[in-house]
Amino acid sequence: MIALGLTAYWMFTPHVVRVRISTTTSLYQTGLLDRLAERFEEKHHHVTFEFIAVGTGRALKLAERGDVCAVFVHAPRLEEAYVERGVIVGGRIFAYNYFVIVGPSSDPAGIRGSESAAEAFRRIYRAGEGGRALFVSRGDNSGTHVRELSIWRLAGLDPQGRPWYKEAGQGMAETLVMADEMMAYTLSDISTFLSLKEKGRLTNLEVLYSGGEELINIYSAYVVESCGGAERMYAEEFIEFAAGPEGQEIVASYGEEEFGRPLFSPAASRLQELKALWEKLAGAQG
Amino acid sequence: MSIVEEVLEITLRSLAVSGTATLLASTWSVPLAYILAKPGRLRGLIASILEALVGIPTVLLGLALYMLFSRSGVLGFLHLLYTAKAIVVGQAILVTPLITVTACRVLKSARESFEEMALALGADDLQAMAIALRESLPGVASSVVMGFSRAVGELGIALMLGGNIRGATRVLTTAIALSVSMGEYDLALYLGAILVAISVLVSVTVKLLEEVQGP
Amino acid sequence: MIIELKGVWFAYPGSRRYALRGVHMRVEGGRVVMIEGPNGAGKTTLLKVLALLYRPVKGAVLVNGDDYWSLDPRTQLSLRRRVVYVHERPILLRGSVLENVALGLKLRGVPGAISGALETLRAMGLEYLAERKWRELSAGEAQLVSIARAVAVQPELLLLDEPMAHLDEDRRELLVEILRELKSRGVGIVVASHWPQDELLRIGIDRVVRVVGGEVRAL
Repeated sequence: MIALGLTAYWMFTPHVVRVRISTTTSLYQTGLLDRLAERFEEKHHHVTFEFIAVGTGRALKLAERGDVCAVFVHAPRLEEAYVERGVIVGGRIFAYNYFVIVGPSSDPAGIRGSESAAEAFRRIYRAGEGGRALFVSRGDNSGTHVRELSIWRLAGLDPQGRPWYKEAGQGMAETLVMADEMMAYTLSDISTFLSLKEKGRLTNLEVLYSGGEELINIYSAYVVESCGGAERMYAEEFIEFAAGPEGQEIVASYGEEEFGRPLFSPAASRLQELKALWEKLAGAQG
Repeated sequence: MSIVEEVLEITLRSLAVSGTATLLASTWSVPLAYILAKPGRLRGLIASILEALVGIPTVLLGLALYMLFSRSGVLGFLHLLYTAKAIVVGQAILVTPLITVTACRVLKSARESFEEMALALGADDLQAMAIALRESLPGVASSVVMGFSRAVGELGIALMLGGNIRGATRVLTTAIALSVSMGEYDLALYLGAILVAISVLVSVTVKLLEEVQGP
Repeated sequence: MIIELKGVWFAYPGSRRYALRGVHMRVEGGRVVMIEGPNGAGKTTLLKVLALLYRPVKGAVLVNGDDYWSLDPRTQLSLRRRVVYVHERPILLRGSVLENVALGLKLRGVPGAISGALETLRAMGLEYLAERKWRELSAGEAQLVSIARAVAVQPELLLLDEPMAHLDEDRRELLVEILRELKSRGVGIVVASHWPQDELLRIGIDRVVRVVGGEVRAL
């Protein structure tokens, strides 16, 4: 009976291709990928995308182990390492935005109006040493953490092991909540910050510094080399769609209704410039 | 700090935090178990509530305590959040149902037999209680070991109340979660092996101590 | 010492069924009472009420004429220490036989508990068991040890629950001897047994009480 039922199921159910994609929690939580997938699936009925949202390191590790067919990430230096080893191929930049330095609205380190992110970090360091400020670091080797470390390097400082420098080893949302509780500074991606702020989870934190080349956050998509067949075909098509005109239109407006401002900027119009910046980020920090 | 030193530090912190939490929980769980180890309607009701709470998700408890300890929470003034003390409190609460329920089973039979025997032989209430407790010591010790094992192996509370802060509140489970999220599976497995080894070692040590203490 | 039950009703906590229903009964020093009846009739419950362990739901337990359960705890304890109940299944503590037999004396803070225990074992011909661990005893040996533990405190009333259950013939003989001796010294003895045993008759039973369905019928 069961065998018969299974046979009938196989025979009469149209075959659906399931494409597994690993991504970072912060990107997944914005909902952008779901929106893109929804639109894509409207036209391709036989495909369904499954997003596995994990830390950046693990997202790439899943690719290496062949557990996923594509990755959507934003950590140029880490991406570069996997590209070099041939684990992931066909990289396409599909969006960008800017990291933000957030902190208590009283801004005890006085970073408002800093000339650069590095300058803001220098002020936090000084205030920290003076016992007037705390900094919470992701400490998890994520894209955001890697960027934070590179800014410290640009500032010519090493905060590791200082009593005011707390390495959380947690996700962005948890780190932001911690910084809010501790009245501390931290580096965040804009979307996680805005969504938590909207939910009323962050009562003390404000964006104190944003913008500039040092804080640019570039989102790329890759196909996993070991993936094949229909799954790979759809993965490639989906990445093409995200970076193409229709996808870019979605990227440009995404988040407007919820936060009153888009969370991302489409990459297509500034692609050459972004590629150069990506190279710089991938190389400079290695 | 080298990686070995850091692992050692994390391991010692795990032992200290979960050990303290377990001992703290035992100071109220064992007496509570003793009280519940007699038949009665209200006692039965409390016991079944505790039994249901044995499997409470640690993140749920972590979240509830976070709300309490947070700056804007009722107990915010204690400034416990993101300290090792907060983990101790959270884990102590977490293992209370487990220790109470398992110790209660042991103490129930001890009260039915040893306590009554002692009273029949002319013990006063305190003497009878002491005898029942002494005779059920091995069983009570096992439930405390189970409590420790649950405490040292839980993640949700350590993460939410401790914050996994390096050099301050990072314990084995949060370090494992971090290694996994960073894709460092080898380190995660290595830390996991230490975690399992600790639980096994504690359990075996307690058993051996009972043997030495003798029949 | 005289213990009298006046219309005693008893139910276990959490249970609505009465295990004893309006029991009247009297036990006293120097007399032997045998309680018989089928399994589950309430013999053990009755013994534990007599032993001042269970407090009746209704009715009174009079000890030398005083209502035991309305006395102050100190007086209660000193009266309870003159009555000893021995469980049907021996309950021994971890440790040696000697330590077990000394338990009752230790609880009373009697000096020289160990030598007192040894004396009792000797008197009962059980000296050879003194250093054995509780785990190394046969069922019959364990039963005798638990009786020795009761005898050691020199009770005025000794309540035995199925004392013959695990004993072979020789040991039953030994127990009868011991009980006769105790009776002659003025100890009151109450024995519960679910089937009549010839050996018990030789102690010199003064009265047989039959328990059925929680009610007592004198025979």
